[in-house]
Amino acid sequence: MFYRQSGIHHTRYAATRKLWPLAADRRLLGGLLALALLAPLLLPELYLNSYLAPWLIWTAAALSLTLLMGIAGQLHFGFAAVMAIGAYTSIHLARAGVPFELALIGAGLAAALIGCVFGAAALRVKGLYLVMATLAMQYLVSWVIINVPVISGGAQATLATPEVRLLFIPLDGDTALYYTALGWTLICTLLLLNIKRSSVGRALVAVRDKDFAAAVIGVDPLRYKLLAFFTSSFLGGVSGAILAFCYYQAVTPEQFGFNVSIQLVAMVLVGGLGSVIGAYLGAGFILLLPIVLTNLLAWVAGLELFPVSFNLIAHIPLMVYGALIIAVILFEPLGLAKIYDNIRKYFLVWPFRHAQR
Amino acid sequence: MKKTWLSGLLGACSALALGASLANVPDKEPVRFALLQDFTAVYTFLTNEYNQGQQDYLRLVNARGGLDGHPVEALVRDTANEPQRGIEAYNRARGDGAVLVDFLSTPVSRAAVNRVLEDEVVMITPLHGRGDASHGETFPFVFPMMATYWSQAAILADYIDTELGGLAGKRIALVHIDSPFGREPVPVLETLAARHGFELRAFAYPSPGTEQSATWSDVRRYRPDQVLIWGAGSGQQVSVREAIRNGIRPEHILSVVWLAEADAEHLGKHMTGVKRYEAVAPGRELPVIQAILDEVVAKGEGSGPEENVGSSYYNIGVATMAVAVEAARLALAEYGAPLTGDKLRRGFEQISNFDAEGLMPPLSFSATDHQGGGFGRVSRWDGGAWVPVTEWRSVYQDIVWDEIEKDAAGFRDGR
Repeated sequence: MFYRQSGIHHTRYAATRKLWPLAADRRLLGGLLALALLAPLLLPELYLNSYLAPWLIWTAAALSLTLLMGIAGQLHFGFAAVMAIGAYTSIHLARAGVPFELALIGAGLAAALIGCVFGAAALRVKGLYLVMATLAMQYLVSWVIINVPVISGGAQATLATPEVRLLFIPLDGDTALYYTALGWTLICTLLLLNIKRSSVGRALVAVRDKDFAAAVIGVDPLRYKLLAFFTSSFLGGVSGAILAFCYYQAVTPEQFGFNVSIQLVAMVLVGGLGSVIGAYLGAGFILLLPIVLTNLLAWVAGLELFPVSFNLIAHIPLMVYGALIIAVILFEPLGLAKIYDNIRKYFLVWPFRHAQR
Repeated sequence: MKKTWLSGLLGACSALALGASLANVPDKEPVRFALLQDFTAVYTFLTNEYNQGQQDYLRLVNARGGLDGHPVEALVRDTANEPQRGIEAYNRARGDGAVLVDFLSTPVSRAAVNRVLEDEVVMITPLHGRGDASHGETFPFVFPMMATYWSQAAILADYIDTELGGLAGKRIALVHIDSPFGREPVPVLETLAARHGFELRAFAYPSPGTEQSATWSDVRRYRPDQVLIWGAGSGQQVSVREAIRNGIRPEHILSVVWLAEADAEHLGKHMTGVKRYEAVAPGRELPVIQAILDEVVAKGEGSGPEENVGSSYYNIGVATMAVAVEAARLALAEYGAPLTGDKLRRGFEQISNFDAEGLMPPLSFSATDHQGGGFGRVSRWDGGAWVPVTEWRSVYQDIVWDEIEKDAAGFRDGR
C-alpha cells in the first residue's frame, strides 16, 4: 500500500541494479535530503552545531569503518588513531599554506599509508589477533602524538585549526561548517552504496566470508585486504580532518583516544555490520543518546518531584545507555539497521502478512 | 481524561518547584553559572566534592539575598570528560544565558577555548586547562584563577630549597603521568635546575597510572634526595605506595595539588609526612565553611553528604565560586545589570587581595594576570589532617611568566 511494488518490472539489468528501485524509497530519501539541506533554516543553532553536525561527521567516520569491518570483515580497534593522523596532517598542511582541498587529500593519503602499514598485519593474522595489531596502532599513534611536540603543538598539546576556504568559500560560521560535513557524509554514503554493488565490493565480501575460498575462486585476498585498509583509512583520515575543522576547531590528543575507537566500533556494531543506514543509526545512538538522556534526566530532576543527588542523576544515563545497548544486541543482533529493515519489510506488503522481496 | 490529570500534576509540580526556588530570593534576573563537569569518567576522584562546594557556596549566597537581589543559579551537567558532550552542554548553557562556565576537565576546556573567546563567556579553569591562559591579553575570557602547575612546581622547589636543606647538588626526581599534564612542570624545573645547580630527572609512568612498579624501580636506582609526584586520582596513591615500597621515605615525597584526605585514608600510616602543594586551605574552621554549615547544611539544604564539607576538594570548589561571585558583585556594582560575560570578565580583573576570609591566599587579577599571582603553600599530612608548613607564598614568577609568554605567543600564532 505504501510502497506500491505492483507494476514495477525489472526488464533490463540497469533497472534491477538501481540503488533504490522503489519510488517510495526515493521519495523518502528525497524528503530527508531536503530536510538535511534546509536544516540551517529549520533548526535552532544549538541543534545544528551540537547535534546534527557532529552526528553527520561521526556517521562519515562510522561509514569508513563499516567498509573495513562490515564489508571486508577486518576488525579494527584503532580507528580513532587513523582519524587522528588525518586531523593532524590536515592541520599541519593547512598551516603550511597548502589549500584546504589538497590538505584534505593529504590527510587521507597519510592516514591510508600509515593505516596500510598496520593493516599489513591483516595479511597474516585474523580475528582477535588483528584486534591486537590494530590496538597497537592506537597506542603507538597516541604515544607519538603526545611525545612529539612538533606534531601535538608544544606544551599545551593543542592545535587550533587555521582559517581555510573550501572551494573559495570561507569555512566559518555554523552553516558553512554544516554543509561541509553534510557534503562529505553524502560522498561517503554514495561511495559505500556503490562499492557494495560493484565487483570490488563482492570481492571484499568474498574475502570476509572465507578468505581461502575467495582465493580459490580467483580473488586475491592480499590485494583486497590491503585495498580495504587503504580505502577505509583514507576515508577515516578525511573524516578526522573534517571532524577537526568542522567541529572541534582545536585538536588535542584526547579527542582521538582509545575510548573513541571503541565508540566507533560500537557505532558500527549497534548500527548493523556492513549497513550504510546502520552507520547513521549507530552514530546517532552512540553519540547522541547519552546527551539526550543526560538532558532528559536533568529536566526530570529540575521538576523536583523527589530529592535525588546529582551524582545519581549523572549515572542513571550510563545505566540506561548500557541497558539499551544490551537490549539492541539481544533483540536484534544484526543491529538497528535490521530493525529498520524489519519495519520496512512489514510495510512493504502491508496490510498482508508475508513479505516477499 | 488521563491527559488532563497528567498536565494538572505537571502544572502543580512546576508551580511547587517555582515557589521553592524563589522562596528566599527577590525576583530579579538570575546570574547563571554553568558547572558542566565530569561526574562519570576521569575526574570523578574530585568532581563530587568540588561541585558540592561550589553549589553549597552559591546556596549560601542565595540564602543571604543573592547578588544585590540577583539569585545565582548553577546549571549543572555531566560531560563525562568528552569534548563533544562538553561542547553540546556549553552551547546549551550559553543559550540559557550562562555568563560563566567551569568544565573541570582539561580536554573539554581546551576544546572550548576558541569558542569562549569568540562568544565572550568567562571560562574559569582552576587547577586544570591551559596554564598559558594566565596571559590575560591573549585569553581575555579565560581565568586559571589559581596557581598554574608551573607555579606549583616553583613553590615545591622553593620549599625544598628553603626548608629541606637546599637544592644545590641534590638529585630531584619528577615522577609523572605520561601526558601533557604530567610533563607540564618540566620546563620550569629545568630552568630552576640550571639556576640552583641541582640534578633533575623525569620518570614517566603510563596513563592511567594504576601500574607504576617498573617506573619506581628506575627511581630507586637513581637514589633521589627528593621526589615530586605529578599525577591525579588513584595514580597518586599508587605513586606514594610504590615510592615507600622502593625505600623512599614519606618526608621526601612532595605532591602536586591532587592529593587529598581520601588518598591518605587509603594509605594509612605510610602517608604520614608526605607533603603537597595546597591552593586553598582545607578544614571546617574557616569562616566561610562555618557559614555554609550554619546557614545551608544545618537547614538541610546542602547539595551533598555533610561529611564532605571542609575536605580539600570541597574547599577548592568553594574558593572558585567565592572568586566568581566576588567578580560578579564587582561587575554588577560597576556596570549594572544585566550581567554579561564581558562585564563579568572586567569584574574579575578588578579583584584585588581577595582571600574569602582566610580560605585562600590573597588573589589579585588584572587585565594581564589571570592567574591571580601564583600563590600557594606546602602542607604536610600528620596522620589525621593536612597541616600547613609554610605561609602563603608566590615564588619564581619570572620563570613562570616566561613559560606563560612563550605558550601564549604560540597560541597567538595559531597554535
